[in-house]
Amino acid sequence: MVAAQAGDARAYDALLRAALPLLRSVARRRIRDAAEAEDAVQDALLTIHQLRHAFDPARPIRPWLVAICERRAIDRLRRSGRRLGRETPIDDFGETLAAPGANQGETRVASAELRAAVAELPPAQRTALGLAKLEDLPLAEASARSGMSVGALKVATHRAVKALRKRLGAED
Amino acid sequence: MESEQLIDRLATGLRPVRRLPPPGLQALLWCALAVLVIGFAVAVQGLRHDLAQRMALPQELAQFLASIATGLAAALAAAMLARPDRSAAWVLLPVVPLVLWLGGLGWGCFADLGRMGPDALAMDTSWGCLKFILLMGTPLTVALYLLLRHAGPVRPLPVLLLGGLASAALCSAGLSLFHHLDAMLMILVWHGGAVAVLVVLGWALGRPLLLRAPAIPR
Repeated sequence: MVAAQAGDARAYDALLRAALPLLRSVARRRIRDAAEAEDAVQDALLTIHQLRHAFDPARPIRPWLVAICERRAIDRLRRSGRRLGRETPIDDFGETLAAPGANQGETRVASAELRAAVAELPPAQRTALGLAKLEDLPLAEASARSGMSVGALKVATHRAVKALRKRLGAED
Repeated sequence: MESEQLIDRLATGLRPVRRLPPPGLQALLWCALAVLVIGFAVAVQGLRHDLAQRMALPQELAQFLASIATGLAAALAAAMLARPDRSAAWVLLPVVPLVLWLGGLGWGCFADLGRMGPDALAMDTSWGCLKFILLMGTPLTVALYLLLRHAGPVRPLPVLLLGGLASAALCSAGLSLFHHLDAMLMILVWHGGAVAVLVVLGWALGRPLLLRAPAIPR
């Protein structure tokens, strides 16, 4: 370091390279994220460079390097802590809103529209649709319950579905 | 950028630097400057006429010496803490003289109360004290910050606080050489208050003098 203070670039290069493992271990001890720790090491290198005139050659260099690196690592942690405090990663949440009910809005609107559309069907079609499609009864039983013939049920169901498709804009 | 590349950049075009003097010498330099400046101000104002009598009182002398010791200790502690590898325990150095100083003033208040009765609690304004400590203390604080600006990237806070304390304590000592304040409570409020104001000012406004982000050389 004495040579580096005098301007010897090769000695300085050698010193910093030799110090790199030490700086990395100090930073990694504080910061779990490897990339963030490496950033702290580079901050420390810049600070060492900035303060190289303040090093006292009468004292050992190791504690000096460690103290600077500790400081930069803590600064990094604080900064990332502040950033995490301000930001919320939204990728994990999709379109979820805070209130669970709020996420079902579209479904609810759709089902309300469907219900209104069903209510506007003629009574025979509505009955046929309810028995054959919603309650999923066999045609024979649906016929027995409604008093309509199997053929009439088939036709009414088909028409009801067609009418709903048209009404809800699903018909291409 | 890889750290190894950064080292290459830092090493190429390395310029020789002038090494800083040891922290003890820095503190001594600044104290000499402070004594010179404050001594000059005191000389301009003229010593108080009853100084010899006051200093004959052991308690007054002790307070005077304690305030000087606080200033010197705070300056030395600031210079030490400005170096990354020095122990953080240096911050304790000015604590003992500071406690002696403020404690002596507080004790003096009670002594006054016993001697003079309720008159000792008569508060008066003494803007002169505040003005002197702030006017003299601010440039001295700035000088100390500039001398210790290498503290910025590593340990700015104690240097900011101790710098203000060092200047204010020495100014207060100088002030007591020429200013007439007999009631201890007045001294405690106006000197102590001015010290506190200067410390807070240094803490709040001193950062730009210390904190400079390191630049990447190209």
